[in-house]
Amino acid sequence: MNIIKGFATTFKHLLEEPVTLQYPEQMKPFNPRYKGRHHLRRYENGLEKCIGCSLCAAACPADAIWVEAAENTDEERYSPGERYAKTYEINMLRCIFCGYCEDACPTQAIELGHEHQLSFTDRRDAIFTKEMLIDTPVGKAEGTPRQVEPGVYTRSIPDMPDAK
Amino acid sequence: MVKIVIDGKDYEVPAGANLVDAAKNAAGNDIPVFCYHPKMEPVGMCRMCIVELGMEEIDRETKQPVLDDKGQPKVRWMPKLQTACTQKVTPGMHVRTATKLVEDARQNVIEFLLTSHPLDCPICDKGGECPLQNLTMAHGPGGSRMVFNDKLKLDKHVPLGDLIYLDEERCIQCARCVRFQDEIVGDDVLAFHERGRSLQIITNSDPGFDTYFSGNTTDICPVGALTTADFRFGARPWELTEVPSICPHDAAGSNISLSTRLDRDAGGKAVIKRVMPRQNEYVNEIWISDKTRFGHHFTRSEDRLLHPMLRRGDTLAPTTWKDVFARVAGDLKAAGSDVAVIAGGAITNEDLWELKQLAAGLGSERLGTWTPTYGGADLVAKVGVGKGTNLKDLGKGDAVLVIASDLEEEVPMWRLRLKQAQDRGAYLVVANARHTRLEDFATQKERNGKPVSGATIRYNVGEAAHVMHELKTRYPEIAEKLAGATNLVIVAGAEGLTLDGSKALMQAAANFLISSGHVGKANNGLMSPLPGANGMGLHYMGFTPENTQHIMANPPKVLIVAQAEPGEDDPTAAAWLSKVETVITLSLFPDKTTHYATYALPIQSFAERDGTFVNGERRVQRFYTAQGPMGEALPAWKIVAGMREALGQAKPKVSAAAVMLEISNKVPAFAGCTYKDLAKVEKQFPDVGGADLYYGGTAYDNKGGLGVQIATSADAGETPAVADVTLPAVPKAKDGELLLLPTTRLYNRSHVFKPSVLVHPRVLLPYVELNEADAHKLGVQPGDVVEIAFGDDTVRVRAGINGTPAGVAVLPRELADKATPFLPTSGTIKKVTEPVLA
Amino acid sequence: MTNPIILLRGQEVPNIHQYDVYVQHGGYQGLKKALGMSPDEVINEVKNSGLRGRGGAGFPAGVKWSFIPKNEPVKYVTVNADESETGTFKDRLIMETNPHQLIEGALICAYAIQAKAVYIYLRGEFWDVAHQLDQCIEDARKDGWVGKNIGGGNFSCEVYTHLGAGAYICGEESALLNSLEGKLGQPRVRPPFPAQKGGGLYGEPTVVNNVETIANVPWIMVNGAAEYKKIGTEQSAGTKLYCVSGHVKKPGVYELPFTATFRELLYDICGGPSVEGRNFKALLPSGGSGPIVHLNDQVLDTRMSYEDTAKIGTIIGSASLIVMDDSVDITWVASKVTKFFKHESCGKCTPCREGTYWLDKVIDRILAGEGRPEDVKLIENVAKNMAGITLCALGEFAANPIIHTIKNFPDDFNQHVAKKAETKPVPAKKLAAAGD
Repeated sequence: MNIIKGFATTFKHLLEEPVTLQYPEQMKPFNPRYKGRHHLRRYENGLEKCIGCSLCAAACPADAIWVEAAENTDEERYSPGERYAKTYEINMLRCIFCGYCEDACPTQAIELGHEHQLSFTDRRDAIFTKEMLIDTPVGKAEGTPRQVEPGVYTRSIPDMPDAK
Repeated sequence: MVKIVIDGKDYEVPAGANLVDAAKNAAGNDIPVFCYHPKMEPVGMCRMCIVELGMEEIDRETKQPVLDDKGQPKVRWMPKLQTACTQKVTPGMHVRTATKLVEDARQNVIEFLLTSHPLDCPICDKGGECPLQNLTMAHGPGGSRMVFNDKLKLDKHVPLGDLIYLDEERCIQCARCVRFQDEIVGDDVLAFHERGRSLQIITNSDPGFDTYFSGNTTDICPVGALTTADFRFGARPWELTEVPSICPHDAAGSNISLSTRLDRDAGGKAVIKRVMPRQNEYVNEIWISDKTRFGHHFTRSEDRLLHPMLRRGDTLAPTTWKDVFARVAGDLKAAGSDVAVIAGGAITNEDLWELKQLAAGLGSERLGTWTPTYGGADLVAKVGVGKGTNLKDLGKGDAVLVIASDLEEEVPMWRLRLKQAQDRGAYLVVANARHTRLEDFATQKERNGKPVSGATIRYNVGEAAHVMHELKTRYPEIAEKLAGATNLVIVAGAEGLTLDGSKALMQAAANFLISSGHVGKANNGLMSPLPGANGMGLHYMGFTPENTQHIMANPPKVLIVAQAEPGEDDPTAAAWLSKVETVITLSLFPDKTTHYATYALPIQSFAERDGTFVNGERRVQRFYTAQGPMGEALPAWKIVAGMREALGQAKPKVSAAAVMLEISNKVPAFAGCTYKDLAKVEKQFPDVGGADLYYGGTAYDNKGGLGVQIATSADAGETPAVADVTLPAVPKAKDGELLLLPTTRLYNRSHVFKPSVLVHPRVLLPYVELNEADAHKLGVQPGDVVEIAFGDDTVRVRAGINGTPAGVAVLPRELADKATPFLPTSGTIKKVTEPVLA
Repeated sequence: MTNPIILLRGQEVPNIHQYDVYVQHGGYQGLKKALGMSPDEVINEVKNSGLRGRGGAGFPAGVKWSFIPKNEPVKYVTVNADESETGTFKDRLIMETNPHQLIEGALICAYAIQAKAVYIYLRGEFWDVAHQLDQCIEDARKDGWVGKNIGGGNFSCEVYTHLGAGAYICGEESALLNSLEGKLGQPRVRPPFPAQKGGGLYGEPTVVNNVETIANVPWIMVNGAAEYKKIGTEQSAGTKLYCVSGHVKKPGVYELPFTATFRELLYDICGGPSVEGRNFKALLPSGGSGPIVHLNDQVLDTRMSYEDTAKIGTIIGSASLIVMDDSVDITWVASKVTKFFKHESCGKCTPCREGTYWLDKVIDRILAGEGRPEDVKLIENVAKNMAGITLCALGEFAANPIIHTIKNFPDDFNQHVAKKAETKPVPAKKLAAAGD
């Protein structure tokens, strides 16, 4: 009796659409707020948003982020203001993708993207450096470091017009 | 003691105390402050410390407090809020610190401050240890009504000097930095410019911010307006590890905190990111000199000696420690007792102990100090400043004599504290053969609106001992004031003196102190700016300058040169070093002494190891390991212990603590100086470094130990006796020549200071200072290049004319690229006429 | 004219600024009389006269002098001629037309407190006045009224003039002393007060009095305290120099006893509104620093004395009356005064330094038609937060115009804020006037 019941279940499902996805050929659409691999963003003019404040590292519960800062000059400018990240590394083996770094960032420089296919054959490869994390400048925008007009990019935190 | 009432509770506080301090100490009530600092006079500028203040009504006739219906004293409250920092406590004072009125006013002051303060905490070096941040969190409004775009925009990168940068936006005009320079240092190089919202800090010296204490302003700045060139954007404060340490540069033994952090550029190892003062009210209070603060870069210098080196012909080749120990043991055995040691002032007690044991095991007692110019350390041990001395206690009725020393350049911390002693009313006498910075203070009659007293004595070069010996007859008035002072401290240096002269001066000074009864008690006695951080340690371990003289005259078979640089300092080094069969150098850098070395062995710097120094006030202080070793360097004591093991003398100790334990058991002076004893701390005032950042600014409370002061024999009850003074011959120039007077500059080109690149603009080019008449005779104009010949050697430097005594040329040591005399020497100067490279 | 003339004697006697003319008309007789009395008697005489400080606060001069400790060897007199309150131009007139009376008064004061020297601190723009004063001092010295053994007696005193560098705050007594010592012109923390040891010039006890106060002293010495007390009201003895500016036909400086009312001054003497058909709207009785009032009948019938002006919620202060008719937008007045105080704030204490800057920004916004409805409340609150916690009185002065203009003329402010809704920008002309 039970056997028949069991087969019935099986046959019933034979007629239904399969729920398995042929990953990696097929992929499920991502929730827009999915938290995958990090990106360091740039402003439209190509300057880096990251100012090397290390707040992401402070917020990180897994101690996965390592930031070392240095001072910008107008001859060699990375980001607006005085400070930029000379070293920016995330250890992806440590990262728990909680997104606290995103929350902590005062300039919205770090964002968690949708890439999730991270695999390494060496522990060292799991450390993503700044070069790996930072976006390429959009369009014709120049990259960093670059020489800029003196006295223009003096503020680290972009102006915040008061909410009306 | 008077009774005051704070927030309804009675407290007993010292009469005349500052209300902010009294509230903190007695009631544990943190009245918030920005401009007030317990080390400086209150100015009442920031208005943050406002409280409600009232006085008990006193009946004019009965002089009794008027009572209300409940039998409580009637209080007349002032109509307006008052600043607590400008109030001295008086009996019957009532204070309310937590009412709505006060809290609202505090909130308003914070809101006002933040209208012009930028919101760049994320990139601010002070962020995380910022009093403005803390007090905003504690007392500030939740938000600002100021429209963000109305905020003031000012220059954020204004170099005040080569070392300090000003961010004009962040400055809250509290004037702490200005007042520090005016009141505490006495170099009034900072000032306010303009008025109103345009009020800004400027420097009015050239070069900018010209003082040896500029770094302290960044500590006491309650915001991130002042930052050092060294630490700008170096790390966030919460990422730093604090390691207690001791300044390795001079006899003050300033307590410091090394802030370390891992660094990618250093291969992921910990490096010193900044040096901060560590509170020790006996030694350096909460201040350090700029050399202490910025002179740490040598610890990570790439020029360091990284491997044990062995001489192979003309070159040194790396080898292993095992090989070194075996070979050295062989050489030492062959030499028998014909072995000597010369140790420099920057070496630790642990190293000295092992060196002493090694020599003793071989039957040698030839232990010398470098440089062999400062005599009389034995007298400091006998009649030095008494146990419990604190230069901060010197004041009205006390006197200080500084003789034959340029303290500003030799021990800036002492100069700072003695200048403050004069501010408090002490009588300051400065005696020297030439003008020094401290002399400026001694000649002043009034400073910051308060009368100060002092006197100066000028004598011919080399006559310091004569002046000291005959002070009562030559300067009866000054001698009388010194002898009659409640407390008397004499600081005797060795400028312009030979070793015999220095010894005579120290004896004469000791005699003066003994005969006037100023020995064997706190705040009385003798101090000497011995070179290096451990000059007194050398004495207690049996190292003497006389031995060095003997070694130089009779070179031994094997000479161990430990953290000393005779090749760098002595123009005649070649003559005697080359006669030594085997020279073993223990040094941080390959230097001119290692030229003569058979073995050049790398030692660890103070930052890489544990150890102890004895400062000029005989305080034994320990420092801790802050960063990993460079290359294969070992602590010097371990190297010597390795040699001793190879010789079969003894097994090496496991740690520096174990060495110190042995020292404390075997050397009577160090009894009670185990690492545990040295690590003891006590509560100090002002209360700095707490999580509340109560007094604002960044300073570290002392968690590493206040050290132990060694008692003098006078302290121990021994009655010191006056001894005869043998007045030495005064150094004279030969006919037609000038007397070259070696002096010390704080910023020099020594190996341990050269790697501090950021201070380079402040290091003077090699120079000689001439008298106007002498310069005229030689046809030399200021800025001319001259060639100075002394003995068989010559050096080329720039000439300056600066009122030195006639027939004397001031030639500072450690500025030129080759050794210049360290004793007064006769020499000739001639103008270089052929074209020279600038 | 039946009004007594004590200060502006230049109106009656031509060339009284010349030494000879001054002496011919009884000059230096007050000093001579004082030298014949004991210092305490001089102080008592001034105390009894009821002479109050004319600088603004109205503190009794004799009482101030009596605070000076007797046993201190070195004491000073400082004459505050840093006349920089908005709308005040009376001291200059005294120094130009009747300088010897000032010098004589200062020396009487110096004798009364046994001071070593008199310093006359003038604002930087008065260099020509200082030059003339120097000349007068030299003239007086020739006859032995200045320098060693004055009037042949044992009392010696030197008189110096000193030019400031053009800062309003240096009219505040402790800032003035700082400036005189060569320091930054910022007020000092009190106590110690200037009259105390440690608080005065170079730390010595010092009397600081206004030019007009001091200039009254010779008359009191000559005619006696009782005679002086007869002039004026119960609590405000003597005459006062009233500086009138603004929308009146005949602005200027007028000497009147304290019994005179605003109506007598503004209508009878100054001739009423300057433009026919317009009415008086508002009055600043004490320059920019005092509370503003509606210039209505109640005010007009008030006597211009210390006690009577207090009753109508303002002060007579230094008596610099700025009169405004109904063409004036009081918001604009608040803006002008705030700009003045923002410019003149010394920057030493937080509320004044930051508050004036902030107020100015918001008022500019309101005047430009960009104001938000809550902005009027905001500036009123900011001003109130400033008052009472600043180091010196300037913070209060800077808060006064805002607090009182909003209190007394709220409609002027609200119309600007309301304008924003109409999105109509303020006329360019008015904008230019607001932001100089």
